This record gives sequence, C-alpha cells and structure tokens, in this order.
Amino acid sequence: MRDSDVLENNPQVSRSALEAMHGQVFGWALSRCNFEQVVAEDLVQQAYVELLTGKARFDGESSLKTFVFAVVQNLARSRFRRISSRLRLTQQAASTDAGIVQPVEPGENEAVWQAVQTLPQRQRDIVELVFCRDMTIEAASRVMGVSTGTGRVHYDRAKKALKEKLGNDLNDE
Amino acid sequence: MTSMMNDSDKTLQSRLKQAQQDAEEGQVPGFDAVWAAAERRAAARPKRGWIAGAIAAAILGAITIGLLPPAERHWEFVDPAEFESSTSWVAPSDVLLPDHRVDIYREIPVLIESTKIEEGALL
Repeated sequence: MRDSDVLENNPQVSRSALEAMHGQVFGWALSRCNFEQVVAEDLVQQAYVELLTGKARFDGESSLKTFVFAVVQNLARSRFRRISSRLRLTQQAASTDAGIVQPVEPGENEAVWQAVQTLPQRQRDIVELVFCRDMTIEAASRVMGVSTGTGRVHYDRAKKALKEKLGNDLNDE
Repeated sequence: MTSMMNDSDKTLQSRLKQAQQDAEEGQVPGFDAVWAAAERRAAARPKRGWIAGAIAAAILGAITIGLLPPAERHWEFVDPAEFESSTSWVAPSDVLLPDHRVDIYREIPVLIESTKIEEGALL
C-alpha cells in the first residue's frame, strides 16, 4: 500500500487495492440489481463514496474484499427495499414488452446459469460468492449478514438443489 | 474452500464461473471513471462536521438570545389638556338621528294633559 494511495478517511483502505478488486465488486453489484449496468454503476459509486467519506470505515476485522462486498450488499438491500415492489412491477412489464432491453444472459453454460437463477436469493448469493468470487463460506456469510452456520446450510442446500437440477450434466464432464 | 470440493463441485464451479463471466462481459466500466465520479459525489456531500457546527451554532444563538436582557421601553406621556382638546366623543347612535349634532328638541313638546279617566287610568 503506497502512502499516497491511502484514503484520507479510511486509513486501512487504498485506492490501488480497490482498483484491483473493481471487476469483482462490479460483478457483485451487477448481480444485486438484475444485471442493470446503470444501477450497478451507481451502487459501486455509492460504495466508493462511503469509503471515501469514511462513513463505511474498514477496521481490518475481515478482508477488504469481504468488507467492500458487504458495503455493496447493504447499499443494494437498503435501496431495493424501498423500491422493490416498483422494481418487481417494472420487471413484470419488461418481461412482456419486447421493446425493453433484457438483462444479458450467458450464451454458454446456460443450463447452469438458469439452474442458479431458480434458487432462492440467499442460496444464489452464497453460490455466487463461493464459486464465482472465490470466498470462503465464512466470508460469504459475513457479506450476506448471516452466521457461518446459516451460510453453510444455504450453501449445502444450493449445491444439492443444483446437482438435482443438473444431474447428468455435471457427471458428463 | 477449494480443498473441500469434490469433482462435481469443481465442475459446477468452473461452469458457473464461466457463465458469470459471460454475463458480466463488457458490462464493467473502468475503475478510473467510477472512482472519479465517486470522488465528485463525496466532495459534493455536506460534511458531517459542517452539519454538527451548524447545529451547535443554532443552539448557541438560541441560548444567547434567551439570556439577553429585555430591551428597554420608551414611555411617552400625553398632556391631558392637549388630549382633551384634540379629541371628541360622538355617540354611536347619533347616526340614527335625522339631523346630526343638532338639538332636535328646538321646541319643548307640549304634553297634553288628560283628565279623563278610563278604566281607572288617565288617557
């Protein structure tokens, strides 16, 4: 950590460290808002503002990545709690309106992707954090704001559900 | 975590990771642009110190105003003679009179006496 890099109101956070994890953080924000890029950018910007102003102060209790992911998660939660019903209505309208751009869906591995999308939110979150963001169950649970035990239960159930859904697909490889 | 994964877990992980990367491809803006926007937003946000200072100043102002002695009153006295010569009083019912401010009783009305008694009373 270079001295000039350190955030004035967050002495344990550096700009370069945030830059290094920017792609991962943005990916996490994208999945928080149904892959709406503009909303995700606003979320990440807001998370950086919280870090810059020291409103979200990193004390080194967890890894910086876990902390920043948790900040994004909390911002998304508080924002979408307010507008969740409106968002649901918008999404319902969007799904019936061909003129509205749909979120980007992956071309390859679509079966796995679709299977994950059918999981309950918390199972989806922990699968993403552990499988795609290379976090431990403990860190993922911290991001989600649940105990490690609860996180483990979600993880096990998610894996079981995915294996049941995908079955032979996974054994073929 | 990886050490706890069996083969099917690893397959699931690699396929999901690939799917996630595909979904995010081309969607992540550069760090510098997002960071610069965040810095602008942080600079525009009123600092907590300012808000606390403004509240403290308001409280101090209210206390100061509360503790100030009441302003001195300047009494002005009126000379009774001057007051009487410059004022007059008119009965509000005067407007009902046919001729304002003129004695309508120019002549004393003649009261006709009646001595005729009818049913025990004077007419």
